Amino acid sequence: MSPRRSDAGGRIDRLRTIRFIFDGAPYTGHAGDTLASALLANGVSLFGRSFKYHRPRGVLSAGVEEPNALVTVLRGEVREPNIAATMIEIYDGLTAVSQNRFPSLSWDVGAVNQLGGKVLSAGFYYKTFMGPVFGPLKGTRFWMFCEHFIRRAAGLGRAGTAPDTARYERMNAFCDVLVVGSGPAGLIAAKAATDQGARVILAELEPHFGGSANWSGEVIDDMPAADWAARTAGQLEGHDNVRLLPRTTVWGYYDGNTLAALERVTDHKETPGKGEPRHRYWTIRAKTVVLATGSFERPLVFPGNDRPGVMLAHAAERYANEYGVLPGDRIALFTNNDSAYRAALALKKAGAAIVAVVDVRPELSSEMRELAGEAEAEILSGHAVVATEGGKALSGFKVQRFDMESGALSGDARSIHADCLLMSGGWSPTIHLASQAGARAEWNEALQAFLPPKPTQKWIGAGAFNGHFKTLEAILDGRNAGLSAVGATGTPMAYPSIESLPGDPRPAPVFEIKAAGKSFVDFQHDVTAEDVRLAHREGFISVEHLKRYTTLGMATDQGKNSNIPGLAIMAEALGKPIPEVGTTRFRPPYSAVSIGSLAAERFGDIKPERLTPMHDWHIANGATMYAAGLWYRPMIYGLSGETIEQAYVREAKATRESAGIVDVSTLGKIAMQGPDAAEFLDRVYTNMFSTLAVGKARYGLMLREDGLAFDDGTTWRLGEQDFLMTTTTANAGKVMQHLEYYLDVIWPELKVHVTSVTDEWAGAAIGGPKARAILAACVTGTAVDNATLPFMGIVRGKIAGVPVMICRLSFSGEMAFEVYCGAGYGTHVWEALVEAGKPFGLVTYGLEALGTMRIEKGHVTGAEIDGRTTARDLHLDWMLSRKKPFIGSAMMDREGLIAPDRLELVGLIALDNRPLNGGAHVVEVLDEANPHDSIGHITACCYSPALGKHIALALIKGGKARHGSRAFVSDPLRNRFGPIEIVSNHFYDPDGSRMHG
Amino acid sequence: MLITCPYCGPRDVIEFSYQGDGNRARPQPASQNLDAWNAYVYDRLNPAGDHNEIWQHSGGCRAHLRVVRNTLTHEISSTTFARGDHKSAARHKAEGKS
Amino acid sequence: MVERQSPLEPVLHAGSHGNFEHGVDIILSETQPGSIVQLAAWPGEEKKLISVIRTVTGLALPDGAGGGSTDGARSVFGFAPGKFTVVDEAEGLVSAFAGAVTPAIGTVTDLSHGRTAIRIAGPKAEWVLAKFFAIDFALPAFPVGAGRSTVHHDVFAQIQRTGADQFDIYMFRSFARSFWKALCHASEEVGYEVQ
Repeated sequence: MSPRRSDAGGRIDRLRTIRFIFDGAPYTGHAGDTLASALLANGVSLFGRSFKYHRPRGVLSAGVEEPNALVTVLRGEVREPNIAATMIEIYDGLTAVSQNRFPSLSWDVGAVNQLGGKVLSAGFYYKTFMGPVFGPLKGTRFWMFCEHFIRRAAGLGRAGTAPDTARYERMNAFCDVLVVGSGPAGLIAAKAATDQGARVILAELEPHFGGSANWSGEVIDDMPAADWAARTAGQLEGHDNVRLLPRTTVWGYYDGNTLAALERVTDHKETPGKGEPRHRYWTIRAKTVVLATGSFERPLVFPGNDRPGVMLAHAAERYANEYGVLPGDRIALFTNNDSAYRAALALKKAGAAIVAVVDVRPELSSEMRELAGEAEAEILSGHAVVATEGGKALSGFKVQRFDMESGALSGDARSIHADCLLMSGGWSPTIHLASQAGARAEWNEALQAFLPPKPTQKWIGAGAFNGHFKTLEAILDGRNAGLSAVGATGTPMAYPSIESLPGDPRPAPVFEIKAAGKSFVDFQHDVTAEDVRLAHREGFISVEHLKRYTTLGMATDQGKNSNIPGLAIMAEALGKPIPEVGTTRFRPPYSAVSIGSLAAERFGDIKPERLTPMHDWHIANGATMYAAGLWYRPMIYGLSGETIEQAYVREAKATRESAGIVDVSTLGKIAMQGPDAAEFLDRVYTNMFSTLAVGKARYGLMLREDGLAFDDGTTWRLGEQDFLMTTTTANAGKVMQHLEYYLDVIWPELKVHVTSVTDEWAGAAIGGPKARAILAACVTGTAVDNATLPFMGIVRGKIAGVPVMICRLSFSGEMAFEVYCGAGYGTHVWEALVEAGKPFGLVTYGLEALGTMRIEKGHVTGAEIDGRTTARDLHLDWMLSRKKPFIGSAMMDREGLIAPDRLELVGLIALDNRPLNGGAHVVEVLDEANPHDSIGHITACCYSPALGKHIALALIKGGKARHGSRAFVSDPLRNRFGPIEIVSNHFYDPDGSRMHG
Repeated sequence: MLITCPYCGPRDVIEFSYQGDGNRARPQPASQNLDAWNAYVYDRLNPAGDHNEIWQHSGGCRAHLRVVRNTLTHEISSTTFARGDHKSAARHKAEGKS
Repeated sequence: MVERQSPLEPVLHAGSHGNFEHGVDIILSETQPGSIVQLAAWPGEEKKLISVIRTVTGLALPDGAGGGSTDGARSVFGFAPGKFTVVDEAEGLVSAFAGAVTPAIGTVTDLSHGRTAIRIAGPKAEWVLAKFFAIDFALPAFPVGAGRSTVHHDVFAQIQRTGADQFDIYMFRSFARSFWKALCHASEEVGYEVQ
C-alpha cells in the first residue's frame, strides 16, 4: 500500500492496480484514481513550476479549477500540454510529464526568477519592453528581440509538433431539458423532468454522477450519499427519454438556448474502441436548461499560500473520502467559515492528525468547537496564518493573532509543524454559464458571493449555483427546477432524510491576510495581492483593466479560484464595496476545449469535396487535379517528364491545331422555368433574352445593384418557358442566391422557378478546327453542320446511345461545342468523344490550357470580374441594353464608374521574353529600389503558344488609350522587373473568324 | 442562435444566410432617382433594438424570411416569409407544423 | 440501354466494417432510383399539384410542411413551400408528370442524374445522422414519411424518413462520394454494413 493511501474507503477499486509514468518514474494507483490522487497517494507533493517565478507548486484542488498541477500527457508522438492532473483518470500506460521546468522539476534553473520578484511585478512587460526611442532596437523591435527569451522562461507546457492522429467528432442534440451538473440538485432535477416524460440530457464533467455526494460523507435516505447518487443515476439510465453524458463539460451558453459541450470519450482509456472519437463536441439545443453547476471553494490570500502542501479544504476532504488518500499526516486548517470543520473531521476519520484549526473569526459556534474537539484539533480562533515554511513541501506555518475588523495582526508569531495546510475562504457559486448567457451577477453580502440574477435565457438554477449550499436545500431546489423546466407542478414530495454535519454557510468577509511575503491571488498566472494594489496605484481601477494589466483570471483556469479574492482586494484598495467594483463577464469556454473537437470532420480527408462525373477517368488518364473551391478539376494531363508549362502548351497548341476536349461539368447550371422566365432574364441580365429563339443560346452579363459587373455565362432557351442558365464555376452559388432573392423579395409576382441542375448534367467542351468533324463522327440523330448547328445554336441527338444536348459556343476561340448529357452517362459520352477524336488528334486539356486559350482570346473571368470592375472597364459595354432597365442599370453610369482614369482591361506582352506574374504592378517609370506610381496590375498571365510570347491580361489606368505604348512590370516581392508593351486584350484571332468557321 | 423558419421550424443559424437590412425599398426599376437608388444600395439602419432583417434559409427550404431580431439581446420576435402572400406559406404557418 | 454510373462506385465496399464485431448498428446502401423529380407549384396551386401527384404516383400527401409518404417503390415529400420531391424506382417519372403538371399549376424538373440517393438504416441511424445535421431526428419530431431540407457544411441534403430506423438522403451527385466516405467514417464506432 502507498504511504498515504488509507486501508479502506473511497470509490477506488483497491483490487485493480494501474501502472503509469510521471516524469519518467513508474508509479501505481488504483482504478478510479485521478493522476493527482494517485500521485498524492505515492507521496508526491511537487507537481509543477509556476508561470512567472518558477515557484514549486503542488496540487490545490481536486477538480476542474486546478491552477497548479498542470501536466503534459504523452500519447505516442502526440503531446497535449496544460491538462489538470485532477482531471486525468489514470489508465495502464498513462505517461505524463510536468511543465515549465528545466532541467528537472525539483531542480529548476528558472527559479532564479523568484529573486527578481520585485522586477517581475504587474505590467512588467509593458513597462520594460517599450524599448529605446531610437537605434536598431527601437520601439517594438526591442520587444521582438527579447520575446524569444521571455517566452522560453515564462509559460506553460510545450505544444507538440507531431500531427494529432486522434479522431474528433461533432454531435447535434435536441432536448426539453438539459441539466448541467449532477450533484444532488442536478440529479434530482434530471429525475423530476425525466419522470414527467420530458427528453432530458444530463451532463457531468467528471467521470461519475453525484458531484459532492461522492465525497460529502453525508447520508441521504439512509444510505451513504455516494450510493444514493449512484442509485439515482442508475434509475435515470433505465429511461429511454434521458441521455446521460459523463465526462462532458458544458462550456458555452449561446443564443437561443444553444449550448456547447465537450465529451471526453476515450481520454481515460488505454486504447480507444474502433472508430471511437477521442472527443465529441456536442451542440445541444435545449428548450430549458437547469444549471446545477455547484460552487467553488475559494483560497485565502496569505504569504506563502502557494507552497506545495497548501490545499483547498474540500479538496483534501475529497481526496480522503473519494480516493482514500491523505494529503498529509499532520494537517492544519485555515478558514473564515464553517465548512472547513467538516473537512477536518473527515481527515481525522481517515487517519490524519489534525494539529490545528486556525479561524479568522474571534467567536465560534459551539457546534464548530465540538467538531474541532472531535477532530482533536487545537482551535486558534481570531488567528490567521501569516507565513508558510518548507521548500518543495510544506514543513510548517506561522500564525498570529488577527483582528477581523481592522485586518491587523498582533502578538508573537507562533510556528506550527504540519505537512499539509488546508484553506477555506468561502464558496462562490459556479455562475459561468449564466454569465455567458447574458446575466449580470448580483453580490450577496451574507454569502459573500456573486449569485446568479434573473435569467435572460431559458434557464433555471438549482442547488449551490443558487447559493443553496446545504444538501437538503439543493435537493428541494433541484426538484423544483426539474419540474418547472417541463412546466409541471409537482405533488409535494416527502423530504429526503439527510444526515449531515452542522454548519453556517456564511463566511466572514476576510479574503486576505496582509503580511510580509508573496500572497498569491491567481496561482496559475503568478499574480499576487501586491500586483493588484500596484495596478490600482498605477490607475488601473476598472475591473476589466485590472484583469488585463495584471493578467488576473486570464490563465487556463479563467479565474475560477482568483476572481473573487482579486475583486475583494481591488475593492479594498478603492475603498468601495465589492458590488460597486463589479465583476468581469465570463465568456466561453468554461474550461479548455480541444482544437480538434472544434475542427472535427472539417479536417483532413473527410472534408466535403465535389467531383465531376468524369473524375475517375481524369485520374486514370494522368490528370493532375487542382482544387477550385470545393471542386477538383484537371489542371493538366501531363505526359511523363513534362513540366506543367510544357503540358499546357502542348495541350493548347494541339487544340488550336486539331482539337481539344475539356470537362466543363463544374459550370454552374440553373434551370429557370415558368411563364415569366424570359422577363426575369431581361431584368437580371444587361442584355435582352426575351428575344432569344427557342433552341438558341446567348452570352449574358449580370451586374450587381451598384452597377459593377457580377457574373457572366451563356443561357440556353430550351423551350418557350424553359431556360438553362450557366454561370462561372466560382459564382454558381452566389448567382443562385441572387436570383432567389429577387424572386422572393423584390418581384414575388413573377412566376419563375429556379433549380440548381449543376449536378444533373455532365459537360464537355470540344473545340478546334477538327471539332465539328469529331462530332459528326459520333453524334447520331442530328446533323452538326453549319446550317443545323449555327453559332449559338442548340441541337439534341445521341452519342453512343445516350441523349445529348449540344450547343455551339466557344471559350477557346476555336470552332467549339459544349456537349451535355445526364451526369450518370458522363464518362460514357466522354469516352465516346475521346475515341471518336483519336483519328483527328484530339487531346484532353485541363485548366491551365483552358486559361491560356482564354487569355489569348482576352475573355474575362473572376480574375477580372473582381467586384471592382464595370462592364465598360472590361469592354463589355456593347452588352448594356438601353431598351430596358436591369439590375444595376440605374447605378452603372455614376460619375466614378465612368471616369476616364479607371482601370481598364488590356493585354500585355513581355518584351524581355520572360514569364510575367499575376498580381504584379505595372509602372511607367521603373524604380526597383522604391517602386511607386502603379498604373495597374496583372490579373492573369501565361506563355502563349499561339503568339510564342509571355503575355498577360491586366487592368490599367486609361486602358485602351495606352494600346501600343510601353511600360514596365514592377514586382518587388518576386524580384521581377522588365519592359512590356500594352496591347488590346484580344491577342488572338480578334475578329473571331476561327470560331465562326 | 435559432431561427424559426415558417416552413422548416426552428433551425440553427448555420443553415441561414443574412441577406441584409429588410427596411430598404427598391425604387421602381426604371427610376432615375439616384438618391433613392443610393439609399437602397448603401444606406442601412443600425438600430440598438428591434431590427427588420432579411435572412435566407439557404441550408434548408431556401425561402427568404423577414426576421425581426433585437440587436441587443438577439431575441427574435417574428419570422415570416419575405414573399408574404405565398399561399402555401400561409397554410403551413397556420398549421404551425415544424 | 447504357448503365448509369454511380458516383459511389469506387468507394462502395459491400460487407461489414468498423466496430462490427460487437454487432452492426448501421446499414448503408445506395438506392439508385430510376427517377428523381422536383415539382413546384405556383402560389395557390399547391392543392392541384398534390392531386396530380396522387394521380400519377398513387401517393397521398399528408397536409403540412415537410409532409410525405412512401410505398417502398415510390416516395414523395415536401421540402419547401409548394415544392416536392418525387422518387420512383423506375425511370420515366418525368414524362409521366410532364403532361399532368400544366404550366398553370407549376413546373417539373428532372434531377434523376443530379441527385444521389443514400439509405441509412439501423438502430443507430439517428445517432450517425446527428453527427452531420443540426436537425432533430427523433421520431416524434421527424415522423415516418416526412421530409426535411438541411445542410452539412456545403452539402445540401433532402432527407426523408422511410422507416422508424431508416432515412433516405438525397444529395448533389458531385458531393455524394465525399459524403458517403464521411458517413462510413462516422458509422465505424457503431459497426456498419454496406449493401
